Amino acid sequence: MEVDGASTSNGGASTSNGRANGGRSRRTAFDLFKQQQLPACKPVLTPVWVITAFMLIGSIFIPLGLVTLHASRSVVEIVYRYDAECVPKAFRGNKVSYIKNGSIPKNCYRSLKVHKHMKAPIYIYYQLDNYYQNHRRYIKSRSDQQLLHGHAHYDTSSCQPEEYNNGLPIVPCGLIAWSLFNDTFTFIRGRAELKVNRKNIAWESDRDHKFGKKVYPINFQNGTLIGGAKLDPDIPLHDQEDLIVWMRTSALPSFRKLYGRIEEDLEADDVVFVTLMNNYNTYSFGGKKKLVLSTTGWLGGKNDFLGAACIFVGSSSIILSIVFMLLHVKYRR
Amino acid sequence: MKRYVYINDDEASRQQLYCVNRISNRKYTVLNFLPKNLWEQFSRFMNQYFLLIACLQLWSLITPVNPASTWGPLIFIFAVSATKEAWDDYNRYLSDKKANEKEVWVVRQGIKKHIQAQDIHVGNIVWLRENDEVPCDLVLMGTSDPQGLCYIETSALDGETDLKTRVIPSACMGIDFELLHKIKGLVECPNPDKDIRRFDANLRLFPPFLDNDVCPLTIKNTILQSCYLRNTEWACGVAVYTGNETKLGMSRGIPEPKLTAVDAMIDKLTGAIFVFQIVVVMVLGIAGNVWKDTEARKQWYVQYPDKGPWYELLVIPLRFELLCSIMIPISIKVSLDLVKSLYAKFIDWDNEMIDLETGIPSHATNTAISEDLGQVEYILTDKTGTLTENRMIFRRCCISGIFYGNESGDALKDVELLNAIASSSTHVIHFLTIMAICNTVVPIKSKSGAISYKAQSQDEDALVNAAARLHMVYANKNGNILEIRFHGLIIQYEILETLEFTSDRKRMSVVVKDCQNGKILLLSKGADEAILPCASAGQQTRTFVDAVEQYAQLGLRTLCLAWRELKENEYREWSFMFKEASSTLVDREWRIAEVCQRLEHNLEVLGVTAIEDRLQDGVPETIETLRKAGINFWMLTGDKQNTAIQIALSCNFISPEPKGQLLLIDGKTEDEVCRSLERVLLTMRSTFSQPKDVAFVVDGWALEIALRHHWEAFTELATLSRTAICCRVTPSQKAQLVELLKSCDYRTLAIGDGGNDVRMIQQADIGVGISGREGLQAARAADYSIGKFRFLKRLILVHGRYSYNRTAFLSQYSFYKSLLICFIQIFFSFISGVSGTSLFNSVSLMAYNVFYTSIPVLVSVLDKDLNEETVMQHPQILFYCQAGRLLNPSTFAGWFGRSLFHAIVVFVISINAYAYEKSEMEELSMVALSGCIWLQAFVVALETNSFTKLQHLAIWGNLIAFYIINWMFSALPSSGMYTIMFRLCRQPSYWITVFLIVAAGMGPILALKYFRYTYRPSKINILQQAERRGGPILSLGSIEPLQARTIEEDVSPLSITQPKNRNPVYEPLLSDSPNSTRRSFGSGTPFDFFQSQRLSSYSRNCKDN
Repeated sequence: MEVDGASTSNGGASTSNGRANGGRSRRTAFDLFKQQQLPACKPVLTPVWVITAFMLIGSIFIPLGLVTLHASRSVVEIVYRYDAECVPKAFRGNKVSYIKNGSIPKNCYRSLKVHKHMKAPIYIYYQLDNYYQNHRRYIKSRSDQQLLHGHAHYDTSSCQPEEYNNGLPIVPCGLIAWSLFNDTFTFIRGRAELKVNRKNIAWESDRDHKFGKKVYPINFQNGTLIGGAKLDPDIPLHDQEDLIVWMRTSALPSFRKLYGRIEEDLEADDVVFVTLMNNYNTYSFGGKKKLVLSTTGWLGGKNDFLGAACIFVGSSSIILSIVFMLLHVKYRR
Repeated sequence: MKRYVYINDDEASRQQLYCVNRISNRKYTVLNFLPKNLWEQFSRFMNQYFLLIACLQLWSLITPVNPASTWGPLIFIFAVSATKEAWDDYNRYLSDKKANEKEVWVVRQGIKKHIQAQDIHVGNIVWLRENDEVPCDLVLMGTSDPQGLCYIETSALDGETDLKTRVIPSACMGIDFELLHKIKGLVECPNPDKDIRRFDANLRLFPPFLDNDVCPLTIKNTILQSCYLRNTEWACGVAVYTGNETKLGMSRGIPEPKLTAVDAMIDKLTGAIFVFQIVVVMVLGIAGNVWKDTEARKQWYVQYPDKGPWYELLVIPLRFELLCSIMIPISIKVSLDLVKSLYAKFIDWDNEMIDLETGIPSHATNTAISEDLGQVEYILTDKTGTLTENRMIFRRCCISGIFYGNESGDALKDVELLNAIASSSTHVIHFLTIMAICNTVVPIKSKSGAISYKAQSQDEDALVNAAARLHMVYANKNGNILEIRFHGLIIQYEILETLEFTSDRKRMSVVVKDCQNGKILLLSKGADEAILPCASAGQQTRTFVDAVEQYAQLGLRTLCLAWRELKENEYREWSFMFKEASSTLVDREWRIAEVCQRLEHNLEVLGVTAIEDRLQDGVPETIETLRKAGINFWMLTGDKQNTAIQIALSCNFISPEPKGQLLLIDGKTEDEVCRSLERVLLTMRSTFSQPKDVAFVVDGWALEIALRHHWEAFTELATLSRTAICCRVTPSQKAQLVELLKSCDYRTLAIGDGGNDVRMIQQADIGVGISGREGLQAARAADYSIGKFRFLKRLILVHGRYSYNRTAFLSQYSFYKSLLICFIQIFFSFISGVSGTSLFNSVSLMAYNVFYTSIPVLVSVLDKDLNEETVMQHPQILFYCQAGRLLNPSTFAGWFGRSLFHAIVVFVISINAYAYEKSEMEELSMVALSGCIWLQAFVVALETNSFTKLQHLAIWGNLIAFYIINWMFSALPSSGMYTIMFRLCRQPSYWITVFLIVAAGMGPILALKYFRYTYRPSKINILQQAERRGGPILSLGSIEPLQARTIEEDVSPLSITQPKNRNPVYEPLLSDSPNSTRRSFGSGTPFDFFQSQRLSSYSRNCKDN
């Protein structure tokens, strides 16, 4: 900002004050504060300054936007919606009864075509749409204490209605754990099965500090109402990574959660066969389920928004600065 | 209702009829402190609201966040105000204790005993020694002085620093020192009141001190609590009022707190936000219930029960109520209190408002109303002591038709007068005698023999001193015997009676007996209209009237002196009546005045004295500057019309002909006053559009009639006229005039220095007292006390204006930041199934209001939009404050819109940038919060006009502190946001998102502000530009003169158009005159509607400043 020399305009006042004090003794900062005479700089919105500022914003944000956009574009992702297609034709009219009927096999075989070379690691996400993990009733229904320390002594009233079953406490309690996503995916390329690494998909901090190593699932999914996946009661929560990922609730009704990683490159025109178990009920509320294979860049996954927004802001600034420049030339005073 | 005090009667005092002498100023006791203080705090609406919210939060079903996020700040705020109260009360307790435990000598069972002051009972005899403080209200019984006199200093009571004489009642005269222990009697006195100038009681002593007469007591016979005994070895008196029932105790009281216009506006805006909040809650509540019934039941994972409890419908609206409760910032009251006390401190600290003569700094007693100083529209000022120095100097006189001192301007140096004195001309001698002894002055002889005078009135002081310099020296007062030295001769007079001065009588007289020849003389002095009608029928008073006229023209204060010889029997007769009147309990003052009238007639007028009271330094400049600032001045004085007009002319109050015009309202009867009032009104209306300085002059009599019978016409006149001179007005009329202006919704400031201004000062929106020569009484009652009138300029233009600007910014900004975060919560509810989920966690919400956003804005108390010098040179700029341009519904709408816009920017960018795999709740919430914090830092930076180091530290330091605090929370495994901030800070996308939010949020704001600043500048902007370019940047020197001229052109219309157009109805709609929007924020008139467009465009101009 343009600054007018540390306010020499206050100089006049301070000399007269100095006289009042009986001589020009050096005044402390606190004295100046008391007299409201602290040296101040007063920025001015001069045309030059404002036009330069907007130019600068433009010249920073347009390249930044381009770089960001490029980073986003160079991420290859395959999004495949499977919820509708994985329902047998006979049940298309009544998907809910299909998904609720445990006797019908839920296997589903699909193939994905890779249209561009994908460099390892390739992240496998499942995406749910119109799923309100951020619903107040849902998001509160968990007990962090229990997840870390077990069922022993903690108040789990927040977990209702999945707190007790048959009078016994549920570990992990709450709606979030109860509704754990339970579709599974296996991938085959050509003849060989693609190895999917399902380790280290959760945050390390969560595993170490939020989910106990000695806390085992107890009495989980034993009720009349079965929500989502069951947990192996012999594996501590610390190692139940799917649960840990799921328990990181999403703030948006449409979200992706990490399922695993493929640690091989996929070449363009490769065809990947997916065997999936379509267990999770999104039909009753019209939610969508998608399988996403995506590489990653320095900005994360594919998301054009940031780049586009940067370019928009940058170019608006340039336009504004040009407008102000024209105005300045026209109404020069 | 009377009180009977039995003197020295241990039986009676044991009955405890009256309270003991324990002073208690405490508001609380240890036990009732908590309940009483809480009760007081909760009687405020805001606090009730916050308590309700906090209680609702305890219900875990509906609370979106941890209840601590509201309870924490609430308890903090309550603790702060409770601690302040407790501390004040503790200090009061300590000072009470000190006073109560002071040891005093009291007679008990006939023996003097040393007891604590709190054990004094009514009826006890209390002994005091020199320099003792008086522990309760006493009636004097005896003193060390043979004449029964004692001297007291009453500065703690009325602020007057001169010594006052008190005398023992005549019945007690001559009682032996030893016998005083045994004295018995009865004092019949009224019930306690707070009038420190009045004590109408009677005393009767019992045997053996039997006196047939009932002895009247006046205030002269009392010594009141908190006075000091001076120049008297000892004194004793009987306690009549004790404890909190003393005159001082009764006059103590908590004055009604004053509410500033800014506060009222903030309350209004808070109310509007509250209504808005209710609407939002209702809409969202209904939407939430609808969504729940249609959608949520399908979302099996939420497990909504089919049938909920009976209050189910209420749950979602209540959740939203809690979510939206942050719309009303809990911190605003605390921040405002804090900055207001800082404004007051700035006034106290200001070196330029220290009276260099006395070294007294200015002081803000009332710390809560500094903003009002910037919004003053009317100043009502006293004349004597306020505009003038109240240092009286005898300048001229006219003795039996001969004018002295006309040539030299100083009668003391006039050779003719000196000759006349030397030749002992009778009239001149009499004249000088009256000057010397017709007063209540006490001469005090110092050890070196020099005589100094203790006078209660500055006029008397001037006269006595002048007489002394004219060789008529008032040398000694010994009881009733006065000694006057004239050319080495000692003349003695015995004072028989003193007929005291009251503002109704406007004269005072003494009856003296010449000890040489035994003649009894009545000597009078007083205002011309009080003396001249009493002149003897044969005397020509023409010359005196002329003299008074002539002196008044010069702005001098005049007094007429007169005398008469009394016959012995005439005096006897009258003296009896006078004594009777003096001992009445009812209407004593009036009775005495009536009796005095019987004596004061047939006077021989000797001449006229003229006393000069010089204007204070800088008064004309101050008045001119403040008038340019659009402030209207009314002068209310007890002085004569001509003197008042002359003073008014000499201090720029009114302009001389032909530019100015004075309109007189006079008349003695109702009809005359009515006619002249109508005539003046007509002239006022017709000159309304001309740039002419029209002022009206009214005297006390006509004012009385006008206020009583023609209230409406007079009100109209008051609103039309920028200047008024009201002379010969009483204190209560002064207060009435303030009331009248206040009833027209004007902000009034009353300034005065004497006891007669106290009522006006207390009545006005802002009372300013001048700590002057008439004592500190006005300064004590006032909200601000200053040493000199000229400091008023700085008080209003600098302190008032800055305070207003700062508060306007601070309050609106507080709403802005609360609304910002609240809007984001509302938007978030639309993507979380309208279920009332909070995007932000409890820690963030609590810290947002308390730490992250309150510190940067607090340093805005250092912000200065313009330099002090610039404001002083262009006082017109005060108009923006007067008209409330910087804080009104439309500027507030601007801030509201800004917070909405910023909320959209933050919300849209963060949910899109952090979509899909990044959409983790805690991360997203921190991204949005960071966006808010960054934006608010830049908003404060953009709205700050001058950056000191402190501001940089607060704004940018706060931003850094935000990260440090959040890193700390992120390092705690138990906190919800464990590791979140570390993760985010490592992500390039986080920083890009934040910068994008800042650019997208601030770009339009900056562009808009720049556009207005450059192409639609307000007057403030123009001055800012000029100030900064015309300042040190000398390379622009060639443009400078041009620049300066344009400023003059731009600013000058303000000053020209200002005088007229008081009433907005007469406004030309498109005029650029600032008055066009002057009062339009007071809604209600249809006129506002037409104005609103212009208002909005205009006020938006200044909103960004």
